[in-house]
Amino acid sequence: MTFTSLNFLIFFPLLALCYFITPVKYRLYTLLAGNYFFYINVKPVYALLLAGITLCTYYFTRQIQKNDKESIKKIYLIINIILILLPLFFFKYFSKVNDFFFSALNSIHIRWPLPDIKLLLPIGISFYTFMSIGYIIDVYNEEIEAEENIGVVAAFTSFFPLLLSGPIERAKNMLPQFKQLKQPDYNSIFQAMKLILWGYFMKLVIADRIGIYVDIVFANSGHHTGRTLLLASILYPFQVYADLGGYSLIAIGTAGLLGFKVMLNFNRPFFATSIAELWRRWHISLITWLTDYVYTPLTFTFRKYKMRGIILALMITFIISGIWHGAALTFLVWGFIQGIYLSIEALTSKRRMQFEKKYNLRKKGWYIFLEIVVVFILFAASQVIGRAENMATAFNIYHRIFSVSGPLFIGDAPSILIYSIIGLLMLLIKDFTDEFAPSQMQFFNNKRKSVRIMAYATIAILILLIGVFDGGQFIYFKF
Amino acid sequence: MVLKKIFSNILLVFLVIFILDFAIGKTLRYFYFNETSGLHYRTTYSMDSTNAEILIFGSSRANHHYVPEIFEDSLHQSFYNTGRDGNGTFYQLALVKTILKRYTPKTIIFEYSSVFAKGVEEYDQMSSLLPYYKTHKEIRPLIELRSPYEKIKLLSEIYPFNSQALTIAVGNLEINKKRTADDKGYLALHQEWPYQLDSIADEKKIEVDTTKVRAFRECLSTAKNMGIKVYVVFSPIYRRYKTNQQVDICRQICHEQNIPFWDYSKDSFFLSHRNLFLDLLHLNNNGAVAFSKMIANKIKHYKTD
Repeated sequence: MTFTSLNFLIFFPLLALCYFITPVKYRLYTLLAGNYFFYINVKPVYALLLAGITLCTYYFTRQIQKNDKESIKKIYLIINIILILLPLFFFKYFSKVNDFFFSALNSIHIRWPLPDIKLLLPIGISFYTFMSIGYIIDVYNEEIEAEENIGVVAAFTSFFPLLLSGPIERAKNMLPQFKQLKQPDYNSIFQAMKLILWGYFMKLVIADRIGIYVDIVFANSGHHTGRTLLLASILYPFQVYADLGGYSLIAIGTAGLLGFKVMLNFNRPFFATSIAELWRRWHISLITWLTDYVYTPLTFTFRKYKMRGIILALMITFIISGIWHGAALTFLVWGFIQGIYLSIEALTSKRRMQFEKKYNLRKKGWYIFLEIVVVFILFAASQVIGRAENMATAFNIYHRIFSVSGPLFIGDAPSILIYSIIGLLMLLIKDFTDEFAPSQMQFFNNKRKSVRIMAYATIAILILLIGVFDGGQFIYFKF
Repeated sequence: MVLKKIFSNILLVFLVIFILDFAIGKTLRYFYFNETSGLHYRTTYSMDSTNAEILIFGSSRANHHYVPEIFEDSLHQSFYNTGRDGNGTFYQLALVKTILKRYTPKTIIFEYSSVFAKGVEEYDQMSSLLPYYKTHKEIRPLIELRSPYEKIKLLSEIYPFNSQALTIAVGNLEINKKRTADDKGYLALHQEWPYQLDSIADEKKIEVDTTKVRAFRECLSTAKNMGIKVYVVFSPIYRRYKTNQQVDICRQICHEQNIPFWDYSKDSFFLSHRNLFLDLLHLNNNGAVAFSKMIANKIKHYKTD
């Protein structure tokens, strides 16, 4: 069951109804049952894995809480993290590591004894694993207390809006909400509905439509012209933004309708004026998680190395981010490139600031526009590596962009590109006004009710008119 | 009080959506069925208007491989090519059902397309039939195979025309007639395939979708039971292969129903002339002419045998 399936449109209202008619005392358990029903619908056996991770998290956080000895607490922390990471490693990385060792040993005529195991990655494992680890570390650092009620912990790790693709929420934000369930008020219900509507628009009208073109082009990158590959490379970051951004909005809205407040995952990333800012706006829940649990401890560890320590911490953090996305060299390189971008920015930030101050550039529209464009180009270029099947394909795409002339591939149906552009323009206009003129062109939040209602209806009609209903899964389901 | 406010507002939004959906959907329907050229028009014409004696059914390979003039000159019968890009067995069955409800053609050629593997693509492709759901009862069970919720989705007036607005607009323009002029359904392709022949590869083993097999059987039996001469043809491809499970299934079904199955996929003449192909799966106009001559001639002699 995914957010774009009709099953979900039946499941969610029914769950919401059951949830709100259940006495407050038992609501948590209705929600928990709903969470597991949702996940069992994806693949029943993986619900056992989720339950195992939850039990493990619950047990060890309690043990950490009970013990006063730092050394024992640390042992519990390490055991717990290893146990939680094991399934992720096994499902996501084992076959790649196995392949690597097999090839390496085979080259020196030693046969690797383990069989070739290819397992289907349980959807959402990367997300609920990170949520669980975050909780354990927070308990270890005494930022929060270990939860006594296993139902609360289980509801947190399995919370269905966040289960499959995040946002990767934090225990300190979510546990209090599960402990004290709130009834959403009128405003939060409508805010949530608006988010859901816009989320569906982003996913069905923009992401899946762009996806048709991008998939065709990247699947046959060796046969396409430079112009075509350039266009697909420009469109791909928008596809990912609309896909995961759309999913996140539906998740936040769905949680909101049940009375939960979930963190924002995207904040108009393509209006960032630096790579660092882009990463504060893009997949925020993952980046803040990595910042809190990887980058910050690392900078503390490397503090004596000053700037070199910061750069090292940046590189390690983004390489981990790349590996989190997948067990492939392309993701590793992708993470490495982000680290390089950010390191260069960190190294040059003082000089840039002085330069900008000297010429008062930060107040000049053309300069900000230029920065936005440069940041987008750098990001889109790195995304080519993340999207390509392997490094050779990625290099071939770069090479063809600059060397192979010829017409732009339109395909059998030019409408694919036209609809993509319509959707994309709407997204950019909305993001632009939210970013630079939040009080202008308000449709969803207009003072006049008639305008608001027409805006909602128009978006719904556009989804019906140009949405892709036979589209693929959410991109981040595979991560 | 709050609940009442919420529900009244939601109701209001749904009311506006309903009105817009009705108005826009009806407008799209009107213009869809008023198209005078293009894909939609050819499907509508095939379903509601053609009364040709020879009909071709199939996907893009059918549409681009059978030249009307050659069949008409050779067999002295009227001809229409109902083949449509990206549409397989379910589409063919829908057309067979609607056309044979109106009249009985003399000859039907089904172009083989590898369609028996499990997968959702064939079901998704039936979106091209959605505009006809209301007007053609006989194809409803087929369309409902798309998903258990198809009936609910089709309560929307816009849904059958999802992603079609631009094509509908273009199909109503006079200029489109000249731009994509078809010859009794046939669309000629004019470029040549520049690359060498693919190396020999065995096709992958597939998991068979029995619904698709049943649909293909029904296509053949429906036509055959009405006394129509039925042929199944696998037109040339520019790719070598040893075995293909889907071709074997097709051959087996034809054998069971005593219907000729003519396999040109390994024809040495075509495999040695890449200039007759547009790509690995499609003949260009020169190839289509050569191939149509072969088939027309074979039918002619098959008749006299």
